[in-house]
Amino acid sequence: MVARIKSAGLIAAFLVILLPFVALAENVNFSVIPAEVHIDSLHPGEATEFELTIHNKDEITHNFTFTTFRPREEERREGRAEFPDDSWISFPCPRIEITANSQANVTVTVAIPQEQKRAGRDWEIWLGVTPESSDLLAVKLYVRLLVSTSGTRFNVGLLAGIAVAIVLLGYGGYHYFRHKARRD
Amino acid sequence: MKIAVTSILIAIILASAVPLPALAEQNSTITITMTGLDEISISLDKTQWPLGTVASDTEYETSPQIEWCTLTVQGTCNVNTSIVGDDAKWVSDPNAYKWTLSSDGTSGEHIYALWFRISGDTARGYIAITKTQSEFWPYSGGSASSLAPGDTKQFGLRLLTPTYFFSGRQMQTQITISAVAA
Repeated sequence: MVARIKSAGLIAAFLVILLPFVALAENVNFSVIPAEVHIDSLHPGEATEFELTIHNKDEITHNFTFTTFRPREEERREGRAEFPDDSWISFPCPRIEITANSQANVTVTVAIPQEQKRAGRDWEIWLGVTPESSDLLAVKLYVRLLVSTSGTRFNVGLLAGIAVAIVLLGYGGYHYFRHKARRD
Repeated sequence: MKIAVTSILIAIILASAVPLPALAEQNSTITITMTGLDEISISLDKTQWPLGTVASDTEYETSPQIEWCTLTVQGTCNVNTSIVGDDAKWVSDPNAYKWTLSSDGTSGEHIYALWFRISGDTARGYIAITKTQSEFWPYSGGSASSLAPGDTKQFGLRLLTPTYFFSGRQMQTQITISAVAA
């Protein structure tokens, strides 16, 4: 009997309360439009904007937060590379409050730095929208953002070759015409 | 002199011909396409698992085991879903004490494990939930396709508590199920 009491005491010593917030349960019902955004011909050094619409379909107000996520290669669209830098994408605020049964538009800005190596690229990144909640299970909705930059990638060798060819052509032309003029 | 001028002019014309297309591209129009304005949405019919007090090094499963929660696709587009877990933190002082989420489904001192199992998924059985976002449904190597609007998936959870932890502390964690257009 004493041994049983000791055993029960030992178990009690390791007891813990996990997830006690039943009263605060929040099964958030929301949606995001659009599910996928394509930005084409964005030149390095330029910025553009688009809007996401978040619809809070619940009977209470919720705060929604925004994140970015770089998916693995097998999760990306075919031919899309990893988006180089999350900081090129910005939201107007880290979170937005949306009242019950209403929707809000969020302007997302995409700005590509003016670097020649960023031209002619096809990238993918996901934009995450999550309602703030203390529940065990939470839902996050991702918007696929596909960004293609315009312009030709800088090819030092090609341009140097063209420059040399132009100089040689000009020099040769000059000497040809000069020689021809002397003969005449 | 005329010959020299002519040669230089030709050189300038040729030199201009190379960068002109590049200059033209700088003035191109940016196109933003929002594919069909599809709406993405999923819902869960349960978000809480009130376990109460738990003992060390013990497994707990939801009831019913693998039909405990139903995920429903509510938007207008097919989706792929993922799952990610997190450390369990002490509610009173989240920075002071936590249970680290196991990366392989095993427990240890102050290390706990979480698994999920989808009803009907006999190929995979219970899958460990880690802090790295991984496939929920569909999954690579399987023949399953993405979830269409109106589709549902039932699943359950399993918790393995740490082999040792500080008692009497309320711990809280979060599992995030995400969806992206397929």
